[in-house]
Amino acid sequence: MTQHMDAAAEVATTTLSHINVPPAQTWNYLRINDIKMELPTPKVAGDVYAGLPQLFGKVEVGLGDEAVRWIVSSAGDSNFYEVKASEARTVVVDIDAATGDACDTGVLVRTGAKATIVTFAHGGAEGSSSASLLRVVAEADAEVSIVEIVAHDGGQHLDGVGIDAGERAQIEMRQYALGGSRVAVGLACNLAGNKSRFTLDSRYLAQGSEILDVNHVVRQRGRNTRADIVTTGILADSARKTMRETIDLIHGAKFAEGSEIETVLVTGDDVVNKTLPVILCDEEDVAGNHGASIGAISPEQLSFLGARGLSEEAAEQLFARALFDDAVIHAGNDDACSAVLARAATVLGAEVARDIAEVLGVEPKEA
Amino acid sequence: MAEATETTRKRSQVADVDRSLYDFKYSEEGFERYADGLSTDIVRAISEKKDEPQWMLDMRLKALAIYEEMEMPANWGPSIEMLDLNHISAYVSPKTKQASSWDEVPEDIKNTFERLGIPEAERESLAGVGAQYDSEIVYHNMRAEVADQGVIYTTIEDALHDPELEPIVHEYFGKLIPMRDHKFAALHYAVWSGGSFVYVPEGVTLPYPLQSYFRLNAQGAGQFEHTLIIVEPGADLHFIEGCSAPKYYEANLHAGAVELFVKDNARLRYSTIENWSKNMFNLNTKRATVGADAKMEWVSGSFGSHVSYLYPTTIMQGARSTCEFTGITFAGATQDLDTGCKVILNGPDTTASVDTKSISKDGGINTFRSSIVVGRKADRARATVSCASLMLDDFSRSDTIPAMDVRNGSASVGHEATIGRISDDTILYLMSRGCSEAEARTMVVNGFADPVSKELPMEYAIEMNNLIKLEMEGAIG
Repeated sequence: MTQHMDAAAEVATTTLSHINVPPAQTWNYLRINDIKMELPTPKVAGDVYAGLPQLFGKVEVGLGDEAVRWIVSSAGDSNFYEVKASEARTVVVDIDAATGDACDTGVLVRTGAKATIVTFAHGGAEGSSSASLLRVVAEADAEVSIVEIVAHDGGQHLDGVGIDAGERAQIEMRQYALGGSRVAVGLACNLAGNKSRFTLDSRYLAQGSEILDVNHVVRQRGRNTRADIVTTGILADSARKTMRETIDLIHGAKFAEGSEIETVLVTGDDVVNKTLPVILCDEEDVAGNHGASIGAISPEQLSFLGARGLSEEAAEQLFARALFDDAVIHAGNDDACSAVLARAATVLGAEVARDIAEVLGVEPKEA
Repeated sequence: MAEATETTRKRSQVADVDRSLYDFKYSEEGFERYADGLSTDIVRAISEKKDEPQWMLDMRLKALAIYEEMEMPANWGPSIEMLDLNHISAYVSPKTKQASSWDEVPEDIKNTFERLGIPEAERESLAGVGAQYDSEIVYHNMRAEVADQGVIYTTIEDALHDPELEPIVHEYFGKLIPMRDHKFAALHYAVWSGGSFVYVPEGVTLPYPLQSYFRLNAQGAGQFEHTLIIVEPGADLHFIEGCSAPKYYEANLHAGAVELFVKDNARLRYSTIENWSKNMFNLNTKRATVGADAKMEWVSGSFGSHVSYLYPTTIMQGARSTCEFTGITFAGATQDLDTGCKVILNGPDTTASVDTKSISKDGGINTFRSSIVVGRKADRARATVSCASLMLDDFSRSDTIPAMDVRNGSASVGHEATIGRISDDTILYLMSRGCSEAEARTMVVNGFADPVSKELPMEYAIEMNNLIKLEMEGAIG
């Protein structure tokens, strides 16, 4: 971490040089091993804020330690939630970039409890910076559903998630990266308990000159653990995206299975799409597989759609709309839903956004 | 140093293998051996001994300075801590001149290559052979009918002394692999010795492969051969590279370089069976550039070495060029093999296909590392990467680290990888039909490797199966 002063704006900034570093790196000249971001220096010297219980300090976060320290320093008081054994609770984290928000959230989900966690970041504009850090400890038999939405119109955003899963804990996660000038999303899930399970459905749209940087890490330590990661996204215009996905089958994780699939639809001529799908295997009785498919809509598919009156542009917009439809359906919270629709209005137009709301029976809140 | 026992055994059949096929050694007595370590004096001495043109000496000295300045990457790759260049001799040469008849080769060196089956292969199925022993080529020959077509197959050193060939070497040498490519590429250019120069004229198709075999007999030594192949438009060549060494407890180093120029409409198949001993640090660099409508085929079998960094690279500059990479890596006890490939698709309508297998056992570490880079001008480029890894026990390791960088909207890139074990059902099925467990496992592994072995000429496929059988010995119980 290096700090310096922006003379023009007289804002002290901090450079985080190694965000989203995957467990196994590769050739440095590919510039795929990390992302660098310049962010406002936290103004916390001499201040004392409420931190999370020490338990959360051990939870690995996909963004990496450097970014975690920055978010914790920027966030002020942390927010700790305990979902007691056999109870059910919803936790909503609203990150409004318009106010330079940074949130540090810890959720302890006790044995057999059910938690629904929604984090959504919105309101970003050029020059803004925001961040969210969510750490979850799921005890045995806990069921956790997480929805993570980043729906900025501009600005920088860091979104980190770390999850520790106990025996038979089930973690279901949906991740939507819908916009932001420079967004880093880093997720790590530690399947420590036997028979714990993690499923991730990750969707993204990057357009214009947006930069999206993603790091997904799943450590499979327990026996009979399962990890399924499905990522689909659209890259338009001259957007740049880096996707790192790691399944780490650690010694002792007998009968573990890990799978990762990424499908990228490229609709822009100047996009840069980087993908690093990694499997690390230190155990014999396991199965790991990954697949990636990157390309445009094929001429055959376009011809098929054309015969039904759909131009290439209309077809591509349909794909983008489907992504927003899905985000609205799974947002799980009215405010989060409104944030998605606001972003849809920017990307697809106000009319389409209204149509999505109408078709899905959602009433967006006034901005 | 133990003398090799006389034996008539050669690599030929699966039933007829033991480690003595590769793991025998002869005395270095009477050899010229430069002091261990690296210095300007050593680099100058190598150049002087070869009576090189000034530009080559300048290149060597510049490379040495770069080597001393560069660092190995700290964030990826196997450890090479045990490799101490202060205990490696950069140049060891037998006291013999290069021969064009095996009868002229000193007896112990001839025995070495006889046991490796090289003269026999030359008689039966090769268009030409080069054999390097430590730092120098000791034998070089090519069939007359191939030479009559204008094919040139000689050493880099001889080419440098030929007024007609020297400008060609000057034009191509070091152009594909820059000396700043990595630390050991710089080292290579500082102390290179031996290797082959191949020139296939326009439209010429060689009916049989050419083969270069590299044997490192000396302990605590490095081998730094340079292979330069130019396949002119419409020409066709299959080049085979073999390498082996006896095992010592002292580290040996292989840092060769292979530069391949495949011009428009040409085809080059480059096959390698690498069986270095398990004290070898193999930091070899191979690179090809491919012209329009040309085809580059790599077939690679990596079985030896203590540590390997090996990623043959294909730069597909020409439109409609194609690249196929078929590889297998077998990592056993004490081995940490980081292998794979790089493909750069720059031309429109280029096609690349990568198919690799890896097997890990007895604590061996296998890392498949690749990169597919699709450039902005590679309209409609297509690339597929498939890698499958087999784990034969629970204390070995297998990692796959494939990177993709796509910068063209009309390109299509696919990737798939699987890691798993041999199912108990398969072993049980084979055992119920009379196989022992060891035989059953070896059969499955051979079947797993079949897509690679079928790409090799018969006798090399047999050698590869031999190596698999050798590696599988003692896998059970």
